[in-house]
Amino acid sequence: MEQQATLDLLYVAAFFLGGLGFAVGPFVIALLLAPRSTRNTQGKTKQLIECGMEPIGDAWIRFGIVYYLYALMFVAFAVDILFLFPVALVYKSQTLIGALDAFIEILLFVGILSLIIIYAWKKGVFKWERKIYSPR
Amino acid sequence: MGTQNIQPAIVQFAQLDKLLALGRANSLWPMTFGLACCAIEMMATGASRFDLARFGAEVFRPSPRQCDVMIVAGTISKKMASAVETLYDQMPEPKWVIAMGNCAISGGPFVFEGQYGIVEGADKLFPVDVFIPGCPPRPEALIEGILELEEKVTGSRRWPRVEVA
Repeated sequence: MEQQATLDLLYVAAFFLGGLGFAVGPFVIALLLAPRSTRNTQGKTKQLIECGMEPIGDAWIRFGIVYYLYALMFVAFAVDILFLFPVALVYKSQTLIGALDAFIEILLFVGILSLIIIYAWKKGVFKWERKIYSPR
Repeated sequence: MGTQNIQPAIVQFAQLDKLLALGRANSLWPMTFGLACCAIEMMATGASRFDLARFGAEVFRPSPRQCDVMIVAGTISKKMASAVETLYDQMPEPKWVIAMGNCAISGGPFVFEGQYGIVEGADKLFPVDVFIPGCPPRPEALIEGILELEEKVTGSRRWPRVEVA
């Protein structure tokens, strides 16, 4: 038994090393076999933008914070459902008393998450109207 | 600012280099990059009738960092020249340049006393490996240019040379 466990560990280690070699190996080969520089005319080899144009401004821009509402909706509906799948499994293996316990727990969970919907409701996410954000 | 020196690879094997050259020659990746009417012929070369895929050079890449060959297909205006040079800079070694058409060779019909808008030939900007004459060259001519480049890379020609009857 002890020997079997050691053997299994060895297998895992071998697979780990194999995977590591597979991922890192090409980098090492490329480092050794590739030419170390490239001919250039303007010294723009390291320029990030690859379309030939000069980059305008920075990539670190402010992101529209309005999208947090979409994230909230995603949590309220999609992620919520995601967490209900394990609950279904637990339900199957419960007796009647345990099932009641689980039911109350899931009711608490869904109840707290439902507050998101109330929040979004209050914010007017569900109203279908064009929003105009004026810069004032 | 620019340099035409290549720092060679750390490890070099003559036979392996030959093998790599064979692989490179038979899977040239040109850049998706057209400047003028020659680009139409280049597109025709890539499409089904002339089918550049038969020679392994059909993978037109949208990024210079993935390319082997820059096909300068068309007139290089002075405004475009810096963009073309930047793309050349961004291509990793080994890289080759094909000047396709008379404009890319010498400026073509746009050369006259006192012209101010055209770069007179791609070789004014960077070294060119293969020149394909024509205005514009037919797709067969571009394919021949690619075969010439393959010959330059490997040192031997894979396809029979077409004799003029």
